[in-house]
Amino acid sequence: MFLFSISKGECVGLLGPNGAGKTTLIKCMTGILHPEEGEIMFNSKAIIQHKRHIGYLSQYTDFKPWMTCEESLLFFGKLSGLDRTFLKENTTKVLEEVGLKDRKNDKVEQLSGGMKQRLGIAQAILHQPLLLILDEPVSALDPIGRNEVKKLIARLKKRATILLSTHILDDAATFCDRYIIIRKGTIVGDIDNENNESDRKRIIVEIENAESIKEPLTNSEIKEMERISKNTFLLTGTKKLDLTEVVADFSQKGVDIVSIRFYKKEIEEIFLEMVSDT
Amino acid sequence: MKNLQTLMQAELLEALKDFKFIWLTIFFVILGVTQPLIHKYMDVILEHAGGADGITIDPNRTTPSSAEVLLSTVSGQFSQIGLVILVISFMGLIAADRNNGIQDFILTRPVSVRSYLLSKLTSHWLISMFSISIGALISYFYTNLLFDSFSFTSFLFFLVLYSLWILYIVSLTILISTFFKSPIIIAITTILLSIFFIIIKGFNHIFFQLSPGGILNVAENKLLSLQDINYFSILTCLLFVLLNISLANVNIKRS
Repeated sequence: MFLFSISKGECVGLLGPNGAGKTTLIKCMTGILHPEEGEIMFNSKAIIQHKRHIGYLSQYTDFKPWMTCEESLLFFGKLSGLDRTFLKENTTKVLEEVGLKDRKNDKVEQLSGGMKQRLGIAQAILHQPLLLILDEPVSALDPIGRNEVKKLIARLKKRATILLSTHILDDAATFCDRYIIIRKGTIVGDIDNENNESDRKRIIVEIENAESIKEPLTNSEIKEMERISKNTFLLTGTKKLDLTEVVADFSQKGVDIVSIRFYKKEIEEIFLEMVSDT
Repeated sequence: MKNLQTLMQAELLEALKDFKFIWLTIFFVILGVTQPLIHKYMDVILEHAGGADGITIDPNRTTPSSAEVLLSTVSGQFSQIGLVILVISFMGLIAADRNNGIQDFILTRPVSVRSYLLSKLTSHWLISMFSISIGALISYFYTNLLFDSFSFTSFLFFLVLYSLWILYIVSLTILISTFFKSPIIIAITTILLSIFFIIIKGFNHIFFQLSPGGILNVAENKLLSLQDINYFSILTCLLFVLLNISLANVNIKRS
């Protein structure tokens, strides 16, 4: 079962191992598949009634090979029900935005994989959707193509609500404000990227001069102190730690703290914990 | 309705760019021309093609009527070799869109699956009927030239009835395309099912009434000026078309 919501302006990562149900969920959200049970709502109405407000990009993007870039966008724009004048103007604008203005009269079959994916983004944003759904947008591309598309996504993030399905966790960490992790058709995690404080038992602390420490910094609350770099340590507590207490304790022991923060789990660590069978 | 028009335009334009209109028409013209010529000049052809040793051609054989020549062209050539070529030319009509993701791009827009399927059905039926009609017209012209004259109205009536069979074949290809991804499997399955429906119509009267292939007999009877137009067969054929498209609609929404 899936139960989640996406707020306006958010960029949400949909993560999960292969076969978890990401693409099926996305196909239901975009109206390609019709779920037998349940509802997908968009602004309090069935999402199927809001198709014109959704932009979609799939992993393997292709177009009618005989159409030019401009013809492809005009074709999809007409299907979106766009006004002729607006469509003509916006096609030029969108092609410029994705860096394909000079290739507008080139046939799709002449484009590289990265260019096709950029054209895919162009068709997804042509009708100025409120929600952009990107299904593995870079996984089938070479490093150059990936870089081109990632730059575009970074720009789009500023103006649209995005649901990004990916198994490239670095990309998710770069773009997403929140992660929804699914496994075997069920949500196993809904994690806020900025405020991921699920683990307050660990603290990263950088001190002035590690060589000057004379006595052990562990106590009844800090059971372990692991050196990460020359002056940086990972402290593991027996229970949830309080940053002010740690600062006070350290200053009593004559240790100057440069910076202190809770250890935030990397998305990869969270992902593996949530999707592993053990 | 506007989306249906846009999708149909794209399909027809694609057929034009792929030269499908041209090669399919040339194919049916060749089929349409060869049958009357062979009927008329079989003995001359055999003689010039290395003699007719071992083959006896009855000099008193009856000359076939123009209706019989036309019938052999359509029943023999168009419905057999023509069917195979038509299905091969259509086998990727849904599978290609699905495999390259275009179907997803279309269906995420305010386009219903029904419009999408109807655009495929209508455009490919038009492409087929364009080629078949020209092939049949050329055949009609040669048959009239080489044999006795034949009523053009009956010929047109026959073409209209025959077009229903083509409509059924296109709808069947669409339905099979929603089950399989491989164009070859789609083509083989469609051809086998079409042959099955042609064969079972001959089993008995009930099968004839219930098989979409019955429309072929109705069309042939019209060509032979037999007056018993079986309207039930027309209805059966149209119902099968509707059934195929409805099942394809459900299948696309689920798969």
